[in-house]
Formats: sequence, structure tokens, C-alpha cells
Amino acid sequence: MIEVMDIKALLPHRFPMLLVDRVTEVVTGTRLTAIKAVTCNEPWYAGLADEDDHGYPEALLVESWMQAAGLLICLGLGRITAPGDVMLAGKLSEVEFHHRVLPGDVLKHDVRLVKDLSHTVVVEGECLVDGAPVLSVAKALLAFRPEGAVQ
Amino acid sequence: MTGLVISEVVATASASGPSTATVTISADEPVLAGHYPDFPIFPGVCVVECVRRGARLTVPAGAGRVTLAALESVRWLAPVFPGDTLGITLDWRGEDLTWWCTGRASTDRGAAAVVRLRYRAGDFR
Repeated sequence: MIEVMDIKALLPHRFPMLLVDRVTEVVTGTRLTAIKAVTCNEPWYAGLADEDDHGYPEALLVESWMQAAGLLICLGLGRITAPGDVMLAGKLSEVEFHHRVLPGDVLKHDVRLVKDLSHTVVVEGECLVDGAPVLSVAKALLAFRPEGAVQ
Repeated sequence: MTGLVISEVVATASASGPSTATVTISADEPVLAGHYPDFPIFPGVCVVECVRRGARLTVPAGAGRVTLAALESVRWLAPVFPGDTLGITLDWRGEDLTWWCTGRASTDRGAAAVVRLRYRAGDFR
């Protein structure tokens, strides 16, 4: 079990964009399972009218899953991010949304390594709520770059 | 506008060619505090969110009520920073139950992302 204090040592993301709460399982360099609890006190719900759609933004569902993917890379492939390194998503293919996610849902992200190309990594997986898929990702390509390279 | 992105996306729908949208990324976007501290980059997924909002504002009349079913593809080409203005072209096509919108977002430095959204008619099952 990897708790959020250790996650913060691995990912540069911070409140309100740190979207992984806990890693529950890692098979080094192969697969990882992580959890994120969605709550209605996240900043995106501020200012919504009571009758507005409170579905969790799809973009954040994808971001949360990609952060789990980032943790698999950091933990398994010897690419522990140096201070100042940033994780960049390069490309996504066939990311499907199966169900709406609402506050109270606990996201369980499963991420599997497909290919390690040293500067970029290909991963796949899905996100489940109560055992039912809410998101599936056929292919995601992630890269780590030094801060100075991103201009 | 509230939600994940507070900067307003303004869209112009076109029946004859691609629709367009623009949004200037405010330095007050809540996401920037944590992405990343001391090095604000507008998150790539938030660029996707801007394209999605532009798409929502320009849904073709014939599509009716649609629900986002998939990001068929996303390519991030360059980072977006607070203060940038994103220009987005939105190319809709489809019929009956399935609709696609290809959004191309760019800053004044050039292309930032290409996003292909797939929609299905109706609400989430």
C-alpha cells in the first residue's frame, strides 16, 4: 500500500490536481492499481447550481487514470522523477466513457504496461466503480521531460 | 462559467464549414495551483475540456441530445500556459446515433492539440 505522502514524493501534481489517493497494488514494471475517491468538495463543484449536472468531468477521470499510469512508470521503470521533472501526456487512443461518475464514487484505476520505449511509455487499462467499468483506455503514451524542456 | 475550467469558451457555430471557438486561459484557473506549483502549465486534459465545451456549444441541429462516448484520439503537440488564447476549430460529422467532432486547438505559437470526440445520441445508459 502506498499512501498519499509517498505519492507526493513521486508525482509533481498537487492540490487540486493530485487525483490519486492511494496505490493498493503494484507489480513492478507490469501493472498497478490505484484509488481515488470523488467528493463534492472538489473545487470543480464550487459555484454549480443545485440543478446543474454534478457528473465528474470526463477530463479529470482521464487525468486521474493517467496519474496512476505515471505512478506505474515512476515505481517500476527506474524513472523516479527528479525535482523539476514534469509528466506529459503525448497521445491517447480510444478512451471510452461507459458510465457517469458522481461524488461518492470510488475510482479504482487499473493500469498495465504495454511498451517501454525509454523516453515514452505506452500503457492501457480501465477505471472501475463498484466493479463496473466507467472508463477504458486502449492506449496512452506518456513522457517525462525536464521542466526546462517544456517551453 | 464554473466547473473544471473557469475561463469562458466562446463558440461560433457554422452550418457550412467548421465551427470555431476561442478561450483565453485565465491565470486564476484553480487547476494551475497544483499543475504545477511554481511552474503553471494548463493541463492537457483541460485543453480537451475546452474542446469539449466548444463542441457542446456547436452541436449540429440534426444531432439532437448527445452524450460524450469516447475520446477516439487525443494528440498533445505543445504546452498551453496561463494567458494563452486557444483558437479551436470544430469539425462535426455523423448521422443518426453516432457523431464525431474533431477539434484542433492552437495558440499563437502554433498547434497545441488535436482531439477527436465521439458522441452517441441520448443520455448515459
